[in-house]
Amino acid sequence: MTPAGALVEVLFPAARAVTAEALLDELASGGALRAGDGRMRDFLAAFGRRLLAPDLARRHPELASLGFFLRPGELARTVDGLRGRHLRVPRGLILHIPPANVDTVFVYSWALSALMGNRNVVRVSPRSGAVATTIVRTLQETLAGADPVVAATQRIVTYDRSDVVTSALSAACDLRVIWGGDRTVAEIRRHPLAPHARDLTFPDRSSFAVVRAAAWLEAPPDTRDAVADGFASDSYWFDQAACSSPRTVFWVGSAADCDAARAAFTTCLARAVARRGWTVDTAMAVEKRVSTYGLAADGAAGTIGFHGNTLASVVLAAPEAAPRRWLGAGTFAHTRLGALAELARLVRRKDQTLTHFGFARAELEALAESLAGRGVDRMVPIGGALSFHRVWDGVDLPAEFTRLVTITG
Amino acid sequence: MTVFTLTEAEREAFLLPRLAALTARHRDACPPYARILAAIGSAPPYARVADLPWLPVRLFKTHELRSVPEERVFRVLTSSGTTGQAPSRIHLDREAAAAQPRMLAATLRTVLGEQRLPMLIVDSRAAVRGPALSARGAGVLGMMNLGRHYTFVLDEGGEVDAAAVRAFLTRHGGGRFLIFGFTFMVWLHLRELGLDLSRGILIHSGGWKRLADQAVDAAGFRSTLRRECGLTRVHDFYGMVEQIGTVFLEGPDGDGLYCPDFANVLVRDPETWEEAPPGVPGVVEVVSTLPTSYPGHVLLTEDLGVVHGVDDGVWPGKRFSVLGRLPRAEVRGCSDTAVAT
Repeated sequence: MTPAGALVEVLFPAARAVTAEALLDELASGGALRAGDGRMRDFLAAFGRRLLAPDLARRHPELASLGFFLRPGELARTVDGLRGRHLRVPRGLILHIPPANVDTVFVYSWALSALMGNRNVVRVSPRSGAVATTIVRTLQETLAGADPVVAATQRIVTYDRSDVVTSALSAACDLRVIWGGDRTVAEIRRHPLAPHARDLTFPDRSSFAVVRAAAWLEAPPDTRDAVADGFASDSYWFDQAACSSPRTVFWVGSAADCDAARAAFTTCLARAVARRGWTVDTAMAVEKRVSTYGLAADGAAGTIGFHGNTLASVVLAAPEAAPRRWLGAGTFAHTRLGALAELARLVRRKDQTLTHFGFARAELEALAESLAGRGVDRMVPIGGALSFHRVWDGVDLPAEFTRLVTITG
Repeated sequence: MTVFTLTEAEREAFLLPRLAALTARHRDACPPYARILAAIGSAPPYARVADLPWLPVRLFKTHELRSVPEERVFRVLTSSGTTGQAPSRIHLDREAAAAQPRMLAATLRTVLGEQRLPMLIVDSRAAVRGPALSARGAGVLGMMNLGRHYTFVLDEGGEVDAAAVRAFLTRHGGGRFLIFGFTFMVWLHLRELGLDLSRGILIHSGGWKRLADQAVDAAGFRSTLRRECGLTRVHDFYGMVEQIGTVFLEGPDGDGLYCPDFANVLVRDPETWEEAPPGVPGVVEVVSTLPTSYPGHVLLTEDLGVVHGVDDGVWPGKRFSVLGRLPRAEVRGCSDTAVAT
């Protein structure tokens, strides 16, 4: 028997309320998709096109990035990239639990899983915002021209705190994808999976930037502006709280070069932030004072400087003091390294994205090899921190969303 | 004797050397505080009280900041942290612990007079009992030092005990008496009594948030209590555990909160952090000479306020209002903030 509170509100394909059992029954009898199924590819591409519509993209620029991610060529590359000696098949039923406060994450996770032919249940938080609503509406609109198999196999649902529902969905799924931080992962893991099933978790991560001071100092003004602009959008887009937004900048070079580069960079960054019109409110300004003064009290900060409320700079007492926790939107710790290789002893498992400027690919590869998986899953140029890729947090998502069948003839 | 005597210029001249000396004292005795001042590049000489470095008040929730060695800590006060937050911890040595009730009494004596008055407490006796005292209970206990012959308006079950109040009025209602309670409790429970409290002096505190939700402002609060209970002497006060003993007291005409001579208030523009002129709202900074055992003498609160006027009211100095609390900073990042299972 299901308690009355255990209803699931379905948002897609059509709005209605059902029990978790009924939802699972429907999906079990829905049609079958193949990995890379053409019917799903067409649907995703059509959905992506709608997201790129000028009025929508203007209102929600993050939807344009999503539309770009779903362009037909990219979908084809994703499918083709998985060709190999084995037959790739869908994993089955995938339960996605995206974070409440980044509205677009669930679509990336779901779209790749759907492309791989899975049946999906995406649990959208009741606290999610206007962008999530727009996404669901656009998906519904796209359904008109789509093969019925899409509606039969895909569900976007929402429900408020219900152990009964989460338990039922967890017990039924073949893979559970948990985004949104350590606490969410721990909370969701209380609900057992079937013996063969497993979790794909995206816990709290933190990220940093590395800049070769000499390269910055030698860069022409327009390059500097472009780097500062990219750094600003890496940081300010999600109030610097995205896992891949940089919190510390490691300057590599001599002390004199690093001091000069840091000062010039901070001026450039303040201009870039002003150009974009990013501001922080009073509560955030106070938050930044609390966190930066706290770093100083702890002995981690040597100096603290404020360029208005939007930009706070902390020069760390030592590179070991690089903060991993969020310090408020637009709060950057700076420190110096003699060489890029020194990062190897500083990196932790929690470190996700290294954004860089002024290094050759070979140097970055050497660093990655010396890290040997102890941390840092992405090395991307400054400005690319937030660009979602099918390989995320060190995980090849399309591969995770499929199984391999060995066939020897 | 009153502690509401100094004009703004006199107060500035009185406070500046004392607060600057406290800054130096705390810098010497509290290493985390010294590191903060070094990091923000703050150093004497300070030409104005407004130039003194302030600490965000929440730092007392995140860090242990004290200027006396552990063995000289006489009492540690804690605030009722909002949900999910650690409470503030305020370290008092014997001297600071003795000063705070003395200065609180001196401040309130201005409106209560020299005698300890019979006291009606708009709360339940249960609030001041038990090992884990709530902030509300601690506030009631602190005020009880200023009264005598206590009667609680609420019984143990939290219901209004009209009989007890009537008995109190029969015995003490012929002369002055003190009524104390939290603003919202006063609003909730005093009016329904339907008794003549016209010889009472009401002291209340605790903020207006819950009353603002019911569209009750300070003027409405005063006029309703006057009409329904005959209360004409009503004084709100503003204070916080991080500056224990310092309260900013509403004047008899209800034209704003006033600062005792050993304290002052500054309203800062939240963009420039410069002092805002009268009439312009901003973030409230409170300064006081009482925090001698911890660096809480210059604090940026998380309250919004506005200075209404300077040396233009019933008492000298600034008169101001607290307009509400700053919201907590909202974050859009992908590390989740709440979990729904």
